[in-house]
Amino acid sequence: MLEKFLKIDRRIIFLLLTLVLFIPIVKPLNLPIGAVSVDTKKQATAIVRHCFKKDLRVGVITFIAGATGLIEEIFEKVPQEYRKEYGKDYVIFPYQADYSAVLTQMGFDLYQIYDKDKFGTHPKNLPVMQGIKSYKDMGMGICITGTALLDGWVAFAGDKFKFPLGGGVTAVSQPGYGPYLQTGQLVGLLGGMKGGAEYESLLGIPGKGTSGIDALNLGHFMVVILILISNIIIIVTRYF
Amino acid sequence: MSETWLIIGGWVAAGLTIFIFSFLYKDNPFFKIAEHLYLGAGMGWWFQVMFYNIWKPKVWEPVKILVNGLQIIQSYHIWKPEFWKAVWTAGDWTIFIPTLLGLSLITQFFQKISWVSRYGFTFIMGYGAGLVIPVSVSTDFMTQILGTIKPLFKVGTEMSWASFFYTFNTFLIAFGLVCVLIYFFFSAEQKGLVKKASNIGIYFLMLYFGAAFGNTVMGRFSLLYGRFDDLYKYSSVKYFYAAQIIAAALAVYFILNHFISAKKSRAAQDNSGS
Repeated sequence: MLEKFLKIDRRIIFLLLTLVLFIPIVKPLNLPIGAVSVDTKKQATAIVRHCFKKDLRVGVITFIAGATGLIEEIFEKVPQEYRKEYGKDYVIFPYQADYSAVLTQMGFDLYQIYDKDKFGTHPKNLPVMQGIKSYKDMGMGICITGTALLDGWVAFAGDKFKFPLGGGVTAVSQPGYGPYLQTGQLVGLLGGMKGGAEYESLLGIPGKGTSGIDALNLGHFMVVILILISNIIIIVTRYF
Repeated sequence: MSETWLIIGGWVAAGLTIFIFSFLYKDNPFFKIAEHLYLGAGMGWWFQVMFYNIWKPKVWEPVKILVNGLQIIQSYHIWKPEFWKAVWTAGDWTIFIPTLLGLSLITQFFQKISWVSRYGFTFIMGYGAGLVIPVSVSTDFMTQILGTIKPLFKVGTEMSWASFFYTFNTFLIAFGLVCVLIYFFFSAEQKGLVKKASNIGIYFLMLYFGAAFGNTVMGRFSLLYGRFDDLYKYSSVKYFYAAQIIAAALAVYFILNHFISAKKSRAAQDNSGS
C-alpha cells in the first residue's frame, strides 16, 4: 500500500502544484514576508522607483536584446509616478551586443560606444548626462539579470575600475554570487522573488501584493511534505 | 497598441502557455505547434535583432556614410596627397576590418574556401582570451582567495555580538575551505585526520548543494508563478475568458482523443482476433 505512494503518477503532483500556486493568485492568503516581486523585472522596477524617490539620475543599458521590451514596460509607467522626464532625469541606451567590450570602454569614455540614445539623440546633448563620461562619474551600477551577465559586470566594471556594483539575480543564481558579496566585489545582492520582496519591504514601496510569496511558501511547503512522506515511507518499508 | 490587438495578444499568450504545459499530461499536436512556433519565432526574432541592432548601425550606416563621402570628392588627381586625404577622411575605413573578419566565418559553409574562416576564429579566440583571462584571474581567483583568508579579528574594535559573528564567519569560511580542498586532495591517502577533514568537507559541499537546489526550486516556482499570474490575467472578462476557454477546449480534445484511441485499439484487437 505504502509503496504505491512512491509510484504515484507524477501528473497528480503537477496538478497539486498547479492548485497550490494558483490558489494564492486568486485569493491571497497573506502569509508572512512583506510585499512581493515576481522576478527580476520586479526587482528592476523596485530599484528604479528607489532611485527616482531619491532624485537620482538613472541610465539604462542592456546586453540582452529581449530585455528592451521589459525596459520600455518599466519606464512607461514608473517615471510618471515620480514626475520624471526622459533626458532630464533618465536616459535609455540601445541594446549592445558585446558586453565585455562595452563594459571595458565605459571605464574610459562611454560616448565611444553609446553615441546615440534609444531615440537617436547624442547623449552628450541630454541634461541627464551632464558631467558623465565614465564609471568614475557615476555613483554605482546595478546589474539586474536572469543570465550570468553579473560575472561580466564584476570582472570588467567593478574590479577593473573600482566601480561600486549591486546585483539582482534569479534565485537559481543567488548562491553562486554569494562569494562576490562576501569579498565586497558586490555591495548588494537581490536574489529572486524573495530578494525583491525584501527590498520592496525595506523601501516601504508597495509591491504587487502578497500572492507571489504565498504561492512560493505553499509550493515549498508541498515539496517539503512530499520529501518527508517519501522518506518516512522508505524507512518504514525498509526497516519495519 | 489598440484594445483589439491586446486581446488577440492575450489569447495567443494564454494559448501558447497552455499548449506548452499540456505536455505535462502527455505529448500532443498542440504542444508540437507551440514548440515549433517558439523555435521559429525565436530564430526570426534573433535575426531581426541582429539585423537592426548590429548589421544596420554598425556596418550598413558607416559604409553608407563612407560611400556618400567618396561621392562628394571633387578632385580626381590621384597623384596628389589631397586626394588620398579626402578619401581617408570620407568615412570610417576601419569598419571593413571587423566586417571582413565577420564575413570570413560564413566561409565555413563552403569547403574549398573554409580555411578563410580561421582568420575570424583566430581573432575571436585571441580577443576573447586576452580580454577574459587577466580579469578572471583577478576577479575569480585572487580576490576570492583573499576573501577566504581574512583576519580572524578586527583590530581596534570592541567585543560585541557583531565582532563575534565576524570572527565566527571568517573562521567558518576558512575552515570549510580547507576541509573541502582536502576532500579534493588526491595526493595523500584518505585516512586518519585527512579522512576526518575530508568527511567534514563533504558536509560543507552538501550544505552548498542543498542551498543551491533549494534556490533552484524557488527560482523554477517563481517562473511558474509568473506564467500562472499571466494566465489568471488572461482569464478575465477583458480577454473574453481566454485562459478558461483554451484550457477547456484542450481538455475536450484529450477526452475525445482518449475515446477515439480506445475505439481504434479495440477495433485493431478485434481485427487481429478474427
